[in-house]
Formats: sequence, C-alpha cells, structure tokens
Amino acid sequence: MTDRRTGHVILGINVLVLGYLPAAWQSPLLKKDSFIDPDYWAGIGRTAERGTLDAIFLADGPVLGDPAYDANPIRLEPTVNWGYVAAATERVGLVSTASTTFNDPFELAERLLSWDTLSGGRAGWNIVTTRGAEAARNFGLADVPLRDDRYERAAEFVDVVTALWDSAATGQDVHHHGDFFDIDGRLRVPPSVQGRPVLLQAGGSPKGRALAGRAAEGVFAAELTKEKAIEHYRLVKRLARDHGRSPDDVKILPGLLLSLGSTEEEAKRRSDELHDAGPAAYSIQWLSQSIGYDASKLELDEPFPEEVLAAPADPQTFLGSMGFRESIVTQIRRTNPTVREYLKQTRYTGSGHAGFVGTPEQLADHIEDWFHSGAIDGFNLQPDLLADGLEVIADELVPILRKRGLYRHEYETSTLRGHFRASSPTPDLG
Amino acid sequence: MPAPYLALGLAGPHLIELTGNPDLLARWDALPIAFTVLGIDRIDGHDPAPLTLDSSAVGASLAGRTSRARFLIVASPQRDHPYNLARRVASLGHLSRGRSGVLFGVADTYAAPGPDGTGAWGGAGLGVGAPLTAATALDTARAARALEQSWPYDSIIGDRDTGILVQSDQIVHIDHDGAYRIAGPLNAPEPATGASLIAWYATTPDDDVAADSEPVDLVVGAGGSIAVAPLGLRPPDSDADGVLLRPTLDQGLDEVLTEVERLLADGFTPVPPGGSLRAALGLTAPARPASGRAAFPAPEPQPSL
Repeated sequence: MTDRRTGHVILGINVLVLGYLPAAWQSPLLKKDSFIDPDYWAGIGRTAERGTLDAIFLADGPVLGDPAYDANPIRLEPTVNWGYVAAATERVGLVSTASTTFNDPFELAERLLSWDTLSGGRAGWNIVTTRGAEAARNFGLADVPLRDDRYERAAEFVDVVTALWDSAATGQDVHHHGDFFDIDGRLRVPPSVQGRPVLLQAGGSPKGRALAGRAAEGVFAAELTKEKAIEHYRLVKRLARDHGRSPDDVKILPGLLLSLGSTEEEAKRRSDELHDAGPAAYSIQWLSQSIGYDASKLELDEPFPEEVLAAPADPQTFLGSMGFRESIVTQIRRTNPTVREYLKQTRYTGSGHAGFVGTPEQLADHIEDWFHSGAIDGFNLQPDLLADGLEVIADELVPILRKRGLYRHEYETSTLRGHFRASSPTPDLG
Repeated sequence: MPAPYLALGLAGPHLIELTGNPDLLARWDALPIAFTVLGIDRIDGHDPAPLTLDSSAVGASLAGRTSRARFLIVASPQRDHPYNLARRVASLGHLSRGRSGVLFGVADTYAAPGPDGTGAWGGAGLGVGAPLTAATALDTARAARALEQSWPYDSIIGDRDTGILVQSDQIVHIDHDGAYRIAGPLNAPEPATGASLIAWYATTPDDDVAADSEPVDLVVGAGGSIAVAPLGLRPPDSDADGVLLRPTLDQGLDEVLTEVERLLADGFTPVPPGGSLRAALGLTAPARPASGRAAFPAPEPQPSL
C-alpha cells in the first residue's frame, strides 16, 4: 500500500444498454423496447446526474450480433443517443465510442465537436479500432485490416481529428497528407466550453497503450487483479510522462461488473437469478472469443488443457482483446478450475473485466483499497441491470464514498475535462 | 386546391442561434409548419457560412429539447457512409418519436476536399470512392432505407416465458450492391413510426432523380412537390404542396420566425405541431421488401449453465 491519496475517485457508468447480463431485459422494471425508448435513456442520464457521477459511457460497433436473447448487441448511434441525453442533463459527462477504422476523420471530427459544443463541453470520444469481419462487410471489405495496420491508422486518424478540432479555434486550414488520409480544410464549428472532446482509449494491446500514453486523457482498462492493475497503471502513466505529459493528464478507469444487494447473500442470489435466466451458450461463446479457442469443444467438467492457456492466439488475427485474454489466463492459472467451475466463478469475480458481487459498503471498501493502492483513478462501473442497479450506485454507494471523503457532494466542475482534472492526483510512480 | 403548407430551411448560423437561445427554440417548437431542414446550406449550392454545426448532432439535441417541431437532417455521401448515416437516422427516429427524417444532396459545401477524384466516402481511406454524383447520393439513400427496414420493429417480442427478446430470424441482410457494398443488417430496429422519411434536394427540373424515384418520399426544389422560396419576398403562386422558406445569412432567427408567423397568418395552411413527420405530411410508411436473407437462425428457448 502506498501513502493514502488525497482527493476523490472518478466514477463512470458503462451503460451496456440494459445491463451487462443477457437476461437484463426480463426485468419487470422494463418495457419490451426500453433499449430504444427515449424515456429510458433520459432516465439513465438523470439518475447518473443525481449521483453526481463523472461520466456515462457507451460502447459501440457498426455491426449487429444476434439480439434474440440479449439487448447488448442493440446499439443506438452513440453521438445521437448521448446528444439526446445531453438535452435531459446538465453536468454528467458523456462518452461515445467511435471507430477509427470505419469513419471518415473529417465527418467524425465535425460531429464530435458539434455534440461537445451542444452538450456544454461534456463530450468524450472513446477511440476504438473495431474488430471482426462482420463489421467490415458493412463497409464493402472482406475483413478488417490486421491489428498493427488498424493501430497505425488509428494514430493518424486521432492526429487528423485533433488538428481539425484545433482548426475550429484558430480558423486556420489543416493541410494533412499522410499514409491514410489527405485533408485540406478546416472545421467551422464553434469550439466547446471545454475546447474539444476528451479523448479516451480502451484496450490493453501494446499499441493501444502507446496511443493512450501519447494522446488519451482516460483509459478504460480491463483488470482482474490488483497487482496487474497497479503494473498497468504505472505503465500507462509512465508512457504519458515519456511523451512530455503529466501523469495526471491520463486517468485510469478499469471496468467493474457489478451485482449489488443489501447483503452479500442477496447480491449473490440476484446475480445467480439473472445468470440462470440467460442462456449458457453465451458464457461459452464469450469464453471462446476471449481466449481465441472454441470453448464448446472443451469438457465442461475438466480443467482447462495447458495448450489452450499456453497457446498464444495469433495477435494479428485474434479477434479478442489481448488485455482481456491476459487477465483471464492469469485468473485460471491461479485456481485451476474446471471449465464449468470457471464459468460459474466468473459470475462473482468477473469475466475479462473484474466482477464484484456484494453490498454497496463492500464495494466502497473495494474502491477505496484499489484507489489507495495506486491501481486506479476510478472505476467504470457496469451494473448487471441498470434499471435498479444505477439507482443503488447513485443513492447508496455514492453517499458512502462521500462520508469517507472519496467523492464530492455536489458537482464542482461543469465539463467532462473539468471533472477529470478535479479528481485525485497520481500517486508517486517511483 | 388547398393553400400550400410551409417548411423552413435553416443555414449554419441559424442552427447556432436556434440551439443557443431557449426563447427562440420555444417559438420554433410551436410553429405550425411541416418541418425544418437543419443546415440546408450544406447541400443547396451555397458557399460555407462562417459557422455551422453537424446536422445530426443538432437533430439529437432538438429531439431532447423540443417535443413538437419536426425536422430533416441533411446528408451527402461526400464524407459519410450509408451504414453510419442510417444508424444516426434510425436513432433519431426513435429518440424524436418519429419527428425526424433526412434530406439528401450530392455534395457537402462544408466538407474539406480530399485529393482529386476522392469521390464519395473516398476520404475515409478505405479504397476508391464512388463518383460524387446524384446517382451515388441516391444509392446512399437506397442503402439507408434498406438498412432501416432490415430489422422490423414488430420482431421485438420480449417473451419472458421463452427467454426470447427478439424474433431475430425476421432480421435480414440487405446485401446491397450499388455504389456501396453493404451486408447489413442495421444494429437498431426500424422506428415504431416506420422507416424515416427520405427527401431529395433537386437542383434542376431535369435532375437525375424523378419525383417518384424510390425511396424518395419528397422532392424539395426544382420540379418537386415543395418549392423553395427566399424568405422575405412574396412566395410565388405555385401548385406545390408546400413552400420551403430559405432565409439568407443576413436574416437572424428572430426575423426568420417573425416572418414565418406572419405568412402563417396570411393564408398558408398550418400543419399542427406534434406527431410524426409522416403523419403530418399524410405519408404512409413505405412497404418492406418482400424477401431477404435471414441474418440469424430462428430463436429457440435456451438451457442455462
């Protein structure tokens, strides 16, 4: 444990449509089409704001997975969705994911800055490169470019977008002629209250972390253990320092899957009921994608064969996240569970992202521990079911954190960048 | 023959005034006009104004800040892709409760030019773009319509007994093969009010696109059912269904709204605010194509772990 830190944590919500568990839609609190209901989305924004939360976040990809049993693959376009929610809120930050592979940098730069301006400087862009042939086929391509090429394109894409945002303030044309893009022109959008959108990055590959160290102001990390989280926290902060930035300029926010209850037993019961209402095939499919091996071929009641854990997926063609795979293998090696045991265990401990099942008091302990250990600047919380899970965060978790001096009582800043900058400084990196 | 209804075409600086002034916004929301185009100067042949905002970003904000006014966002294929555009159009359809639609033009005056011959979507650096022509813009509209219709709203069943949320075998690939190749389906369902209204901005009477060209519901401009008239001059007598008023940049939004209110009192047919754009214009939802390749197998109840 390092010295106790001063200041407060950052709290974000990863709004996985209705909640991260496939059966979330079955809640009696929801209508059959809540995922496209404007009242549902405005309610998410208002509840987050009631808890003075820093940001709400939307994942995204230009492709549809099968929505037969699960609302998670269903996606309203994030800049439109959060643009709408911005109109129903005043302070909460809004982060939209957008792909550097399947957008034109001029169009995206203009749209993101317009949304930032209209929201009063509350917008953030989560930069992703997008995986999977199915998305590529919506853009006339047989497959996505290889991982290295995607990240080279992403780096240039981000440079073009930020140059265009600068052009909105200076009125000077951008003249960019690079490997991927050629642009002569400028944006005519008024700069926002915070100047331009906040840049965030998700993903734990080396090139992803390099991009984070160079340009991102926030990182959505995937961490299963505190030790790895501390290691990655220091790595990205040092990368920022190597680029002449302050470590405080990049905030580290791992995801945390949540099931909360008024007792630990109640929380486990809630988690079990939601899991049991969803199909088993989902867990197996998730595992297959995450480790790069067809898990339906594994014996459910046998431990994982060593070659499955050891065989490094080809990083160029592997469709999953490298950061997630590393987290999962570390976790399996620690307890050597059977496949079925592992899949059930991940109900409580997380799957790729860390999981937490317990009371708001216990969650506050967990946040406090990771925060003072120098593993995080905050968490991106992912409730099992948002319809009531977000209320528990706003009305129960936040007051506990406030009593402990870990969270503000009222909004003290009005922009997303302001919220980030007002959070706790980085502890000594050694 | 009834007097025409009114519509309004706002330019970039008007959008900044509209979104920045709550009093003007409330007046606009109450106007009994058919619809307002958000940023018509992008596609009607003018030079760019000093300031503007992205059209769909304005639409999203207005969907949340108003409850009655109807609007068209503006689209061109120059730096946009039908899949990305269809997502924004469908999302606005849901969040505005059917008050929104889209007006297509060929090129976007605010878009930075790429190298010569970049064409439509060529600036994305994913290959050579299609030529930046009316035919390409119309193909963009066709793809956007097909994508919006690829997932029928009625397939959402939310059956807690079987654990089936969506009868996803009703969702189809679009297999579009024109200026773009797009597999589909879209990742959001069609709005409950039906596929979004598609309008076309015609620059000449013999524009490549005829008034009845699928999927265009409405033609604005030369030869179309909606005539375009400069705001402030007496609109010409015409047999058009509607007249779209186009203010200049010198006319501030207060002046624009005052003039629209005056014309409404002067014999134009009011269109009561509120309700969907299709209902306001008396246009039924377009028919869905008869067949399509199912995107997913028929869902069956699933065992748990």
